Amino acid sequence: MKSPILTFTGLLAALLLSASVHAAEVTLLNVSYDPTRELYQDYNAAFSKYWQTKTGDKVTIKQSHGGAGKQARAVIDGLEADVVTLALAYDIDAIHEKARLIPKDWQKRLGNNSSPYTSTIVLLVRKGNPKGIKDWDDLARPGVSVITPNPKTSGGARWNYLAAWAYALKKYGSEDKAKEFVAKIYKNVPVLDSGARGSTTTFVERGIGDVAISWENEAFLALKELGPEKFEIVVPSLSILAEPPVTIVDKVVDKRKTRVVAQAYLDYLYSEEGQDIAGKHYYRPTLASAAAKYEKQFPKLNLITIDEVFGGWQKAQKTHFNDGGVFDQIYGK
Amino acid sequence: MMNFKKNYLHRVVLASLVGGAALLSSGAALANDSDELEKLRALVQELDQKIRVLDRKAELSEEKAEADRKAAPVIKAGSSGFSVESADKKNSIKLRGLLQADSRNYFSDDNPDINNEYTLRRVRPRIQGTFFNIFDFDINTDFAPSAAVVQDAFINARIQPWFQVQAGKFKVPVSLERIQSGGDLRFVERSYVSDSIAPNRDVGLQIHGNVLNDKLNYAVGVFDGQFDGQSNGTNRDNVANADGKEIAVRVFATPFKGEDSVLEGLGFGLAATRANGSDQAVGDSYRTPGQRTIFAYNGATLTDGDKTRFSPQAYYYNGPFGLITEYIKSDTDVVRGANSDKISNDAWQIAASWVLTGENNSFRGITPKRDFDLNAGTWGAWELAVRYHQLNVDDKVFEGPAATRYASATSTTEKASSWGLGVNWYLNKNLKVQTTYEQTSFDSGVAGVQDLEDEKVLFTRLQVAF
Repeated sequence: MKSPILTFTGLLAALLLSASVHAAEVTLLNVSYDPTRELYQDYNAAFSKYWQTKTGDKVTIKQSHGGAGKQARAVIDGLEADVVTLALAYDIDAIHEKARLIPKDWQKRLGNNSSPYTSTIVLLVRKGNPKGIKDWDDLARPGVSVITPNPKTSGGARWNYLAAWAYALKKYGSEDKAKEFVAKIYKNVPVLDSGARGSTTTFVERGIGDVAISWENEAFLALKELGPEKFEIVVPSLSILAEPPVTIVDKVVDKRKTRVVAQAYLDYLYSEEGQDIAGKHYYRPTLASAAAKYEKQFPKLNLITIDEVFGGWQKAQKTHFNDGGVFDQIYGK
Repeated sequence: MMNFKKNYLHRVVLASLVGGAALLSSGAALANDSDELEKLRALVQELDQKIRVLDRKAELSEEKAEADRKAAPVIKAGSSGFSVESADKKNSIKLRGLLQADSRNYFSDDNPDINNEYTLRRVRPRIQGTFFNIFDFDINTDFAPSAAVVQDAFINARIQPWFQVQAGKFKVPVSLERIQSGGDLRFVERSYVSDSIAPNRDVGLQIHGNVLNDKLNYAVGVFDGQFDGQSNGTNRDNVANADGKEIAVRVFATPFKGEDSVLEGLGFGLAATRANGSDQAVGDSYRTPGQRTIFAYNGATLTDGDKTRFSPQAYYYNGPFGLITEYIKSDTDVVRGANSDKISNDAWQIAASWVLTGENNSFRGITPKRDFDLNAGTWGAWELAVRYHQLNVDDKVFEGPAATRYASATSTTEKASSWGLGVNWYLNKNLKVQTTYEQTSFDSGVAGVQDLEDEKVLFTRLQVAF
């Protein structure tokens, strides 16, 4: 006859074993920037299905969206994001610098500098282009109302600003001229929203402005949602290669024990399906096969990079967007 | 609402402009002046844009104000105290206070003026707070004693409702009436159970929590150890009674809590302490309701082994009715010279109260349905209370001559029996006027020594608590 202790131990082991083979339920929080709502709604559904098929575990992904700067601040202040998918690397750098939630070299951990997709900045105008907007110069003309969000809070707004600056620098040849040019554009901005989606609302739904400086994907979305009979996209002669990066938040995933699924969530962005979903939502895929598939939907553009014109995000941020920087000088605090 | 107003304004202004433009345009058409018409169209568009921009700016301002409001700390000032709470409700700090001003009048046949006095019984500014939604702290000082003391100073980590860790100085989990807040007492002074025998506050570490759907509360603690009725650092006695530590355990059940039952307000439990000490003067001292010390050990009576306490306890609240009862027994191994004994002292109490104005009675106190307000003709809540309690000192402490007796030479009472009547007037949640009459008779334990004269005392208290 077995001893009671052995019987109890056996039962306990059986219970533990049965618990371990049960499918787990995991929840992730993706803290992202403003215009990625629709992209991640589709992608989250696809990843959940993929993950359940692969592991049997059910994963639910919650989304949080807002201006990239504000979103990074929220994570620094304690919002427990398993992953962040923000508009630019500087905001993710801040999560390392101010909260040490991720390592300094976070951007080397995934391909293409941790940017699974890219985008750029274009101009969205009303049907018929009544103000005759053709390039950046037209945004600086008196009487043209320009919609763009606040670079202090919005990652997309910083890309907008730097694209205009890069254009002026190339055309007029000096930092002073570029500053003067960008100042003229911001003089034409009647409303500064805190994020890119807010700017889209201002331009598209509230009917304010003649031209919106916009993420390419956001401009295509406006066309798709409201029809080409209401808006047109104007492709400027020069724009900037925007690389929205992604990373897991190490301290959070280790605390919540979600590292494996969070890492898989980001890795899957680089897969055929992840890249296809990005393309469908007008983000430029980085995987060659997906890029080829969606090549025709994107206009050909002369794109500069942040590194070659501004010396990287750290320098650009310090010069233009920190308190007392160029933006404060031209827009007034 | 503001949006509606803005949109309404927008439509009115726009309609006026368009109407005006139409009228003028008809005039312009008559004059065949197409340039004028174009200018008017441009003007309307420009004004329309300006109005839209104003609308949008107002909308964004409202969004920002709403976001700022959600992120702003919440400041509260009310009958529960004054507090500041972070927007996420995870961090807070609260200022609380308890002030009791007492009048004590003794009625004695031999000495009618004994100890008549006005006194500040409790003057306790208190700061409580929470960090990260888990860690509570409590700093409770008292300026009423001759030297200010820290009554409570502890940190409680609410790791889980069923597993909390508390460290610092706080009430030892033994007596039911001691656990009841000093502001919620139905009589001006506590009974013999908690005032004379159960330990008061002590420094230690306690694990506690609520289990079984909050129907069972448990507490297990390790403390420095206190003599009967003593409190660490109250200037009455600050000497631990144990060489090691005193262990206190208490379980209290409210099995019908949350149920639609006549027994919903029933609670009962058990508490016990155990310590071991030797060669310390036994510091137990027992007091009357009138706060006169009637028993203490001789200074040469020392601890000589175990000290244990055992206390069954219960309460019952139903509508306006409340009942609290408890018993406590304290066994102490003592030695004086060549004599050693286990001394067993005990006390018990039973107290009932009835809220005359219909409010629900509770362990936590009474909240009037209608605050005192002469203009409105409302008088707050009124309560009657009655109590009987008794203290029994072991006969052995009075044996032999004073030179070898365990009790001090002036301690002769082996039994004190008290009955009390109370009338409590709750003007509002914060203000209470409390009157208690207590009469105590004494039995002498020393042959040839007369019983002490009965103590008759009338207390009146004005209390402010928040």
